[in-house]
Amino acid sequence: MDLTAKIKDVLNVETIKLELIKTAFGKPDVYFSKIDARLLIFWYLIISLLPWFTFNNTILITIIIYTTFLAIISRVSPLILTLLFIGIITELFTIFVVTTFFAGVNLDAILPILTLSMKIFIMSIASVSVFASMSPEKLSDGLLSLGLPAQFSFAVSYAFRMLPILLDEYHQIFQSYRLRGLTPEKHGFLKWRLIYYYIKVIIQSFYPLMLNVAKRTRLTVEALEVRGFSYSLHNPEAKKQKLSYLKFKKQDYLFIISQTIIILLILWFGATFPS
Amino acid sequence: MVSLNQPIVEIKDVYYQYPGAKQPVLNGANLNIEQGEFLAIIGGNGSGKSTICKTINGLIPHYFSGNYDGEVTVKGKSVKDQAVATLSHHVGYVYQDFQNQLMKLTVLEDVSFSPLNFGYKDYKEKAQQALELLGITHLQDKTIWELSGGEKHLTALAGALALNPEILIVDEPVAQLDPQHATELYDKLKFLNDELGKTIITIEHHTEFIANYCKQIALIENGKVMWHEDVKKGLYNITKLQETHIYPPQVTQAAMQLDSFASNDDMPITVEEAVDYFKDYYFLPDSSRYKPNLQITNSATVSVSNLQHEVKLLNKERRRVLDIDEIIVNEGDKIAIVGNNGAGKTTLMKSLAGIIKPKQGEIMVNGIDVLKTPVEKLSSHISYIYQNPEEMFIQDTIENDISFFGDVRNMNQDDLYEHIAESLNMKNLLPLDGRLLSGGQQRRSSVAIGLGMLPTVMMLDEPTASLDIGNRKQLVDILHSIRDKVKTVLIATHDMQLVAEWATRVIVMEHGKVIFDGTPKVLFDNVEIWKQAGLKLPQIAELSLALNIHPALSVDEFVGRIKEAQVNGFNG
Repeated sequence: MDLTAKIKDVLNVETIKLELIKTAFGKPDVYFSKIDARLLIFWYLIISLLPWFTFNNTILITIIIYTTFLAIISRVSPLILTLLFIGIITELFTIFVVTTFFAGVNLDAILPILTLSMKIFIMSIASVSVFASMSPEKLSDGLLSLGLPAQFSFAVSYAFRMLPILLDEYHQIFQSYRLRGLTPEKHGFLKWRLIYYYIKVIIQSFYPLMLNVAKRTRLTVEALEVRGFSYSLHNPEAKKQKLSYLKFKKQDYLFIISQTIIILLILWFGATFPS
Repeated sequence: MVSLNQPIVEIKDVYYQYPGAKQPVLNGANLNIEQGEFLAIIGGNGSGKSTICKTINGLIPHYFSGNYDGEVTVKGKSVKDQAVATLSHHVGYVYQDFQNQLMKLTVLEDVSFSPLNFGYKDYKEKAQQALELLGITHLQDKTIWELSGGEKHLTALAGALALNPEILIVDEPVAQLDPQHATELYDKLKFLNDELGKTIITIEHHTEFIANYCKQIALIENGKVMWHEDVKKGLYNITKLQETHIYPPQVTQAAMQLDSFASNDDMPITVEEAVDYFKDYYFLPDSSRYKPNLQITNSATVSVSNLQHEVKLLNKERRRVLDIDEIIVNEGDKIAIVGNNGAGKTTLMKSLAGIIKPKQGEIMVNGIDVLKTPVEKLSSHISYIYQNPEEMFIQDTIENDISFFGDVRNMNQDDLYEHIAESLNMKNLLPLDGRLLSGGQQRRSSVAIGLGMLPTVMMLDEPTASLDIGNRKQLVDILHSIRDKVKTVLIATHDMQLVAEWATRVIVMEHGKVIFDGTPKVLFDNVEIWKQAGLKLPQIAELSLALNIHPALSVDEFVGRIKEAQVNGFNG
């Protein structure tokens, strides 16, 4: 296979769809998936909020290394990681260009922005590794037990259920546009006309999708009524049954202890070698 | 408890008008359903079939507002006094678009959704019991989106069964399933009815299924229940009212044509009964059987060679979905592509249209290499019409949708659009949004959109799915009428009656391979092939085979061969 064929093999809608689905539906065999959902949500909040209380770059870099390690053992899809890194690199590049333009080659302006980027990066990578290894059902039950309204937690799990359907339908509509559409005759400088055409179609395809979904929702709401969902909203017994499986086990306590130690170690390390 | 004489469902003088509608949908409907009935509700589109079912499970009047009058009781208690949630313990409902009633990610989660909502401690057992009843326990850990259409339908049914209701309502199961799965579903419903005494109500257009499975039949027209009879009497009644677009089973039609004075007791409705009925008749051999097809010219419009395609699966494996040595489509061909779900019909069509680029092989359409040409340049040569018309509506009105292709190419084709709208009898639909149309209107619009591209070859994916018999007839007429514009037509379908009525050539696919390519008659004769591919023959062809004669494609042909035999008196 030559290079373009290889790229086409990796970067096509079908592959992207599969990767997204894999990310969304969780992996039953990774470490995070065995931990209680409420604990993971709590852990995620700490790891992503912690960086905002410090300007110590050592701490930030250590947390980045740690969370990246976690992302790797959670087997986050390479596609998602690649996208994340492309985002980071282009951001750094833009920062560099802009600061060079306004302030000349001078690190003073770059460093604070770099710190900010690190904080955002930590949030993103922690969320990818936690939420990609949690099944949607677990996430939704976790939210419910933390006291969020049942409508909200149902919406979360239903969104995951709809995701593959929406992806498929979007793809079909996109193809519909292409079937009847017309690519520009002249591609223009750096093919900009072609790129502009595709961006337009990508955006336009969302409108029919939204209308189709809106139409379908009517039936879904009706079916929810029949299947007793609105009844369950006023029924504490239903919630109790639903969440009865959520119990702290040995591995959860181990998780609390190990994470506390690791975070303390990171903080100590940062305090000893500040930068 | 229900006393022995009291019907399990009683509908008395029910009127209902949807909010904003100009006319009532139910207009004084009366229907009594006894415990243990297997009732088919028939009637044209918009006659109120689904609406009457929604009065039984309480969605009307509790969920839908609107004008409601009359009295519905379930197990002796008024529906008005019970909440929808309470009623769902007595009435299970499976929608026509059952995909939308599946709420959860995995099968077990979804089936236990209802019992869990009611807070039952044994919700898992209840769900597992329902799965076991339908024999789909092996699916319980699968995610919904991995399932095939038939498996999803069974999951929806299991979800309704999980509360152990006495009554099950199934809305048009055959419309969305392939024939094999539809038969499987009816077998399970029959089991629930025979063995567990559940009352089953199906909304159904296909009289062949009604004849084989249902015990009672009720006709609804203009919001009224016209009659409610046992199945034999009911199907006989239908023969008297063919103008309502409902047709009796083909074997009944055949018997009717022979003896229009026969009473309902003599009429066969299933193939078995028909074999008995026709066993003493003599048949002429089929004279048209080996006639070469003269219409076909020898210019290849489409040629496919060594085509292979594979898709990636979740576990990083690849599965081959197309493996075709050669297909040559000549100008003037009317080809039906048949085979089970997953046989590769849609993949083949999308490859021909250039939407999917197969890994290997060559496709030529009008001398253009499809694999090297972008979709946008192919569509004026070969157009593809989606199975779901809604995915083709990308503009705000049907008129704009039809002209979209021409408009972006600056073509002035107003005359053409005018002509299309006229010949498909859809001028009134032009200013409307496609999403708001009925199933039949949507299908017509999607064909019009395809014609607007003036293609040489047109491909339609499952055009008769979810159409009632009236709309189906109309579509067949449309297919015949577009012959002056489009020379070559390919259709992917499960509808073998359509194949028999329309196609000059059938391609049978299985696991991505072509296992048969020839005329419908030769295919129907080839029992191994169609059994292997999981096809369900039209009743009249099945009857012919059971009588050991060459399969007839239509009722007229079947009857025609009898009459001559009686005069000449020799056997074929």
